[in-house]
Formats: sequence, structure tokens, C-alpha cells
Amino acid sequence: MVRLPMMPELLRQLFKKPATNAFPARYLPPSVTKFLQKVAQGEAVINPPVPVPPGFRGKITYDRESCIGCQLCLKVCPAHAIEFLPTTKRVRIYVAQCVFCSQCNDICPKDCLHMTPEFLLACEDRFAESQIVE
Amino acid sequence: MLTDLIGTVAGAILVGVFGILVALFLMGVDRIVTARMQARIGPPLSQPLTDIRKLFMKENVVPANAIPWLFNLAPVVALASAITILLYIPVGGFAPVLSGGGDLVLVMYLLTLPALALVAGGFSSGSPYATVGAQREMVTMIAYEFPLAIVIITIAWKLAVSGIPLPFMLASVQANPVWGLVGPLGIIGVLILFFVLLIVIPAELSRIPFDTPEAETELAGGVLVEYSGKNLALFTLTQGVKTVVMASLVVALFIPYRLSALLPAPVILQPVLDLLFYLVLVVLVAFVAVSLIRVSMARFRINQVVSVYWIYLSLIGIAGLLLVMADHFLRVV
Amino acid sequence: MNGDTTKKSTPYTVPIGPVHPALKEPVMFTFQMEGEVVRSVDFAPGNTHRGIEWMGMRRNPVQIVHLTDRICGICGIVHSLSFARAVEQIAEIEVPPRADYIRTILHELERMQSHILWAGVAAHELGFDSLLFLAWRVREQSMDLIENLTGNRVNYGIVQIGGVRRDISDDQRPVIEQGLAYYRGLLDQMKTVFLDDSTIRMRCRGHGLLSYRDAQLLCAVGPTARASGVAMDIRHDYPYCAYGDFDVHPVLPPQEFGGPMGDVYDRIIVRLLEIAQSIDIIQQCLDNLPAGEILWEKKLPKLLSILKKAQGEAIGRVEAPRGECMHYVRMDGNEAPATWKVKASSYSNLMSWIPMLKGEQLADVPIIVASIDPCMSCTDRVTIIRNGSAADLTKEELTRLSREKTRRLSRC
Ligand code: SF4
Ligand code: SF4
Repeated sequence: MVRLPMMPELLRQLFKKPATNAFPARYLPPSVTKFLQKVAQGEAVINPPVPVPPGFRGKITYDRESCIGCQLCLKVCPAHAIEFLPTTKRVRIYVAQCVFCSQCNDICPKDCLHMTPEFLLACEDRFAESQIVE
Repeated sequence: MLTDLIGTVAGAILVGVFGILVALFLMGVDRIVTARMQARIGPPLSQPLTDIRKLFMKENVVPANAIPWLFNLAPVVALASAITILLYIPVGGFAPVLSGGGDLVLVMYLLTLPALALVAGGFSSGSPYATVGAQREMVTMIAYEFPLAIVIITIAWKLAVSGIPLPFMLASVQANPVWGLVGPLGIIGVLILFFVLLIVIPAELSRIPFDTPEAETELAGGVLVEYSGKNLALFTLTQGVKTVVMASLVVALFIPYRLSALLPAPVILQPVLDLLFYLVLVVLVAFVAVSLIRVSMARFRINQVVSVYWIYLSLIGIAGLLLVMADHFLRVV
Repeated sequence: MNGDTTKKSTPYTVPIGPVHPALKEPVMFTFQMEGEVVRSVDFAPGNTHRGIEWMGMRRNPVQIVHLTDRICGICGIVHSLSFARAVEQIAEIEVPPRADYIRTILHELERMQSHILWAGVAAHELGFDSLLFLAWRVREQSMDLIENLTGNRVNYGIVQIGGVRRDISDDQRPVIEQGLAYYRGLLDQMKTVFLDDSTIRMRCRGHGLLSYRDAQLLCAVGPTARASGVAMDIRHDYPYCAYGDFDVHPVLPPQEFGGPMGDVYDRIIVRLLEIAQSIDIIQQCLDNLPAGEILWEKKLPKLLSILKKAQGEAIGRVEAPRGECMHYVRMDGNEAPATWKVKASSYSNLMSWIPMLKGEQLADVPIIVASIDPCMSCTDRVTIIRNGSAADLTKEELTRLSREKTRRLSRC
């Protein structure tokens, strides 16, 4: 006998809510960048993304003031994303290169590196202001 | 004479435009409904139109080892022949434009034309994927032809023995719903034939589970693999128009009712009512035969396609035929 | 055409790859076809070589652990775990029991998400996209769980040499329990939609056969071998992490489905049953989670200096969702390891394609190729370039090269 167990399931789903999270908008805007600009100006509404759990590892932050320039973070960064600036004895982090392992957070003796929940980091220029933390 | 000709030409253009519009509408509905069944949101209703427009703007690539004239001719022939079929079947509750000229047998022949054009286009594109796809398309075509013939012949036969003149004419089929001509046994038979015709549609339209000629995961688009731009747009439209054709054929053969005959309405509104009713029916048929079947099955292997049609569906069809015949002879006796 | 009169039986070539919708990762197949039937098949991997080992040999083990996360896009813990286990053996590091349990929990969560992902891909290869969407939708729950426990969905970064980097807090327990309950409730439905479906059965039963003998001769591993009846599972044969504390048996296709036949269908069964097994293991881990530290050495600078002094060689083996995965590491008292060799599970499984594909129809190629759950980017450890284009190594050259390497290694 022909058995199609998916068929009833699919018919049921026809009357249920779709599972897709309509982020950033229900239908793809002609230009996502323009859409985001409009959102910033308050002309359009953005559908929020799925919330991230506590402890999520997003874009890195750096507390310049408490850093002592010990360079330990450089030793454990697998992606070579941290550069030491000898003149100021501080570090610079290239977000485009960072792999979000948070290992530098663990080793920093002064606790000046942290991960934030921010994950919308896509950018066309890897040296843009948003892609460099110092 | 001349006015007749002008009328026919105008009607043909009208039907062509109407057919393409309904095709785009059906494609859009199909995509939304499929998406909803798969718990997705799906594209807006206008997406097929957007796609076609985009395809027309894209470059039309002709591969180096293709046969250019055949390669370019095939999509045009496919779309033209698909629209031609529309002229012979009742669409939108109206009588067929070329009602005097053709019958069901002609429609059956015409139905093979877009498929043949596809095969020609596939063979002429000079790619191994397209060649395998074209071979499969031919096999599929031969496979579903027999059950389709059984359905059409049974209905025509029933009309003939019921004393209706010109049984193969679609106009007579539509004027005399087959359900009214048969007894209880025959109703079961006709239901079976209805089912058979619904299962023939996905193969006719190369949809899953019978989309072996295109088979995205194995042949990367098969017969269509080398097509792009305008040519691909024409083939996509053909696909849509064929959906309209098959759905209209089902409606004409099995649900040839008019809302205006059942609901009292002002004369002006009657065509509108009929049109709406027709659209609802077509969407329903397309939903069952295209969307629902497509989402709830895996793709068949080509030999399975053949055995499904030649053995199972043909047997089921013949069973339907025998029931209708038994019904007739029992009632005559 | 070579003037053959019987044109129908003239074999023709159908290339599939390096990039093709049937393949999720690049690999080159060349099929000799007769009609729709595959007469012979040849394949050439090596299209996704990224030089990860080369990068690793210029970094210290603490850095490499996070590099290993990126070997595979699906296995986020398998490679880091087996690398860490190799290094731990060299440096004689003892992993605290709690860390072992947390590693096990994540290892099994990963197996669940990987198998569900595979089930979706397999459905897609069969042209059954609704199942793909369904499977990937339910997979989301395990991804969320992993994200909650580790901080990231794909590159977990949970393993550290000598333990794990994040503990499971009491708040997280109910979240895990909830996830497990969700999958327990889903298992039956998954089994129904995959195994009861006539169209899937038609396409998978009796196709892509790999006999018990072939599986052994070709050294197949993981679900591919188990579906052919080879009872092997590193978790059972050489228990690591917390597996020694539980009863983990290799999952074989059960009698009720016709026993091990070694076809595509059996591979679906094995993977579905392994999801159930994983749920059990996670539950047991949660119930018996010991208290204590999660790291052998909490201070990273100290760990670094210990690792710098370590000398020796070791192999870390784990049972990845696709089969045995192993890392060979050799340290000689420098910061970076002297040698690091990754052997992913797919490396052992690829050869089983040849007997599986022979005599099958072209239509079955995608599902058979997918049935071993190949991971090309894990496997591709080398690309041979000669005069600017890809080349093949002969057997003799390969033997010579490997002898040279062995000699080089035994010297240092
Ligand atoms: S998070 Fe990891 S990759 Fe990023 S800067 Fe820190 S150590 Fe480097
Ligand atoms: S480890 Fe911390 S204190 Fe040291 S250089 Fe890096 S950021 Fe500064």
C-alpha cells in the first residue's frame, strides 16, 4: 500500500503559522543597505532577529584604559586578529579576522576584553570603522 | 467570413494573454501554498512575474556546441503550442475560441508538442545532462500518454453511447457533465478516472515526483540546464501555461459546471461569476495535482515513473473504464 | 563514437562535479554510463584543501584547539576534542571528570544535530524538500541548545586543553532537559516520516549496497560501516570522556527492518536510532554529572608554558557523527607541534562509494553519494599541483613520499 505520512502533516501545517523568522523584513527588500538606513531613520520597521542566549560570543569590546599592554592576548589568538601597537603599548583588534573564540578574554589579566551580543557585523570594507576595535 | 477571422484572432490573443496571466497567478499561488505547507513564508504572489521579467533582462547564452536555430526555436514552439491548446479548451467558463475546429484527440496530440519542443531543445543544447534529461522526458511522455488516453476515451465513449452527438468535442463534454450520465457504479469509475488524470498532471508538467527530466539534484536542471535568459523565461511560461491547460482540461472533463447556472445572478455578472468559479476550480485542481503531490513525495527513478504509469495507473484507469462500461451495460439491460 | 553499431551500449561519460547540485562540497566524479546505469566510477577529491595543518604547525596548542573547530562546518567539537585528547596524552594532563561529562554532553548534542542535518540533506537529494525543511526546522532546537551551552551555534569553542571552557549551570539544566523532551517526543514522528514513506523506501531500499566484507576491506567507519553490520564504535571499543561509565553499544540496523543489508535505507535507520541513543547518553550524563573543576589548569599562561615543555607523540581518537576521527600530534618541546595530522572520518568512507555506485542508476547517484555523509573539507588534506594545474600521484610516488615522511618523523 502506498503510504505518504508527510501528506497529513503538510496539510496541517498549511493552516499553522510559518516557522520562518521574518528577519529583517517579511520579503527581501530591493536593497538591504537602503532598508537598514531607512530603519535607522525611523521610516521602516525591522523584524527583530532571534534573541541570542546569555553568554553569546559576538563582537569584541576593548577597555583601553585598563589594558597594560602585556601582549598575552596575542599569544592565544588563533586568528592573529590582535595587533600590538608599540607606540601606545595598546592593542588593536581586527574584527573581520576575529573568529569569536573569546580566548583573549580568558587570558587577559586585566579583564579588559569582552564579547558582546552584537552579531550583525557584515560589512564590505574589512578596515571600516566598525571592523576595528582599539 | 472576415469578421469571423478577426474575431478568432482577437480571441486567440485574448486567450493567450489571459492564459499567461492565469499561469503566472497559478505559479505564484503554487509557490506560496508550497511554502506554507513547508512552514515557510514563501515569496509574494507577484514573484513569478518578477522572475520572468528578470529572465528577460538576462543574457541569452547559446552554448558553443549547441545547434543554435533549434536551440532558440524550441522555447518559442513550446510556448506557442501550449497557448494553442488553450484555444481548444474551455477557459474561464467560456466556450473554446476554436470550438469548431478541434476535439479531444487534437488536444491530446497538441499536448505532446511542448514536451517535444523541450526534448528538441534538450538534444540541441549539446550537454550530457540535457541529453539524459531529454531522453527521460521522452520516456516520461510515452509513459503518461496511455493513462491519459484511457481517461479521455472512456469519457468520450460514455458520451457517445449516451447518444450525445460529437462526443469528442469539448463543447459537448462540457454541456453534458459525465456524472449525470452514469449510475452509482459508473460514478466510482469516473472518480477513479478523475484520480488518474490528476496523477498524470505532475508528469505532464515535470513536477516532483515525476520531474526526472529536470531532476535538480542529479541533472542540475536536465533538459533546461543550458537555457538561460529569454529562452528560459519562455520555457518557464510554457510550464505555467501547461498548468493552466491541464487544470482547465480537468475542469472541462470532470467539473464542467457553471456557477451562473446554479446561482441566479444578473446577466452582466454571470461571466464574472463563471470566471471566478473557474479560477477557484483551477486553483483547487492545481493545488492537489501540483502543489500537494509535489511536496509530499520523493522523486521517482525513471524506471519507476514508467512502471507507475504503464502498470499501476493504466490498470487503475482500465478498472475505471470497466466500471463505467459495466455500469452502462447493466443499466441498458 | 567509435563506429560501434550497438550505439545504445556505448558507454558515455557523465561528469559530476567539482561543483554540482548533487554535491554539497566540491569533489569530482566521472561516471562511465550505459544508458541510465553506472558502469564504473572514479572520483578525485582535493578541491577544498585549505592548509589548516600548515597553519597549525605555526601556532601553539591553545590556539590550534580553536583552529580545529573550523576544520568542519558541522562537527564543532569532534576535531577539537580529538586534538585536545592527543595533546593531553602528550603532556600527561588529567581532565577533571566534570569536564569529561560536559564534553560528552556536547559531543552527543553535536551527533544529534549532525544526523538531523544529514537526514534533511538526504531528503533533499531524493527530491523530497518538505522533509528537508522539516528536519532542519527541528534541528534548530539542538543548535539553540548548543548556542546556549557554548555561546555559539557552529564553532563552539568549548574545548580547552585539559577540560572545557564553560560549565553547565543549574539554570541550564532545565533547558537541556526541555530540549531532550522535545526530541523524545519527535523521534517517533521522524521515524514515521522517514521510514514509513513509500517513496523513500522505493528509492533507498536495496540501493547503494555495501556488503559487510566490503565495509571491512575498505575500512569504512561510523554509520556507514554499522549499516553494513560492522559492529564498531570508538565510544564502545575504546571509551573516552565519560563513555566508559555508560553502556554504549554500536547501533546496527535492527532485525525488524530486515537486518543489516548495507543499503541507503539502513544508513537512514542507523542514524535515526543513533539520535535516540544520543538522547539517552545526554540524560545519563546530566543525571550523573559529577561536581568539581572543569579545567585542569585554569591559568592559561601556565598551561601555555607546560605545553611548551611537552614532548612526545599521541593519537586522539573520537567517534564523530560520521565515524572515527583521529588526530596525530607530535610535540618536541617547542611552542608549536612538530607534526599535526588530521584524519577525518570521511577519509575512510570515501572509497566505499566505488562498490556502492557500481550498477546503480544515475538517479541514485546523489543519494548514494550523500548516504555516507561525506565531508570533503574535513578530508582534503592535500592538493597536488604540477606545472600550475592539479595532478595525480601514482602509487609508487605516494609510497616513496610516505616513507620519506616516516623517516623524517622518526629522526626528530
Ligand atoms: S576572540 Fe579569539 S579570535 Fe577574536 S581576538 Fe580574541 S582571541 Fe583573537
Ligand atoms: S591581555 Fe589584556 S592587558 Fe594584556 S595586552 Fe591584551 S588586552 Fe591588554
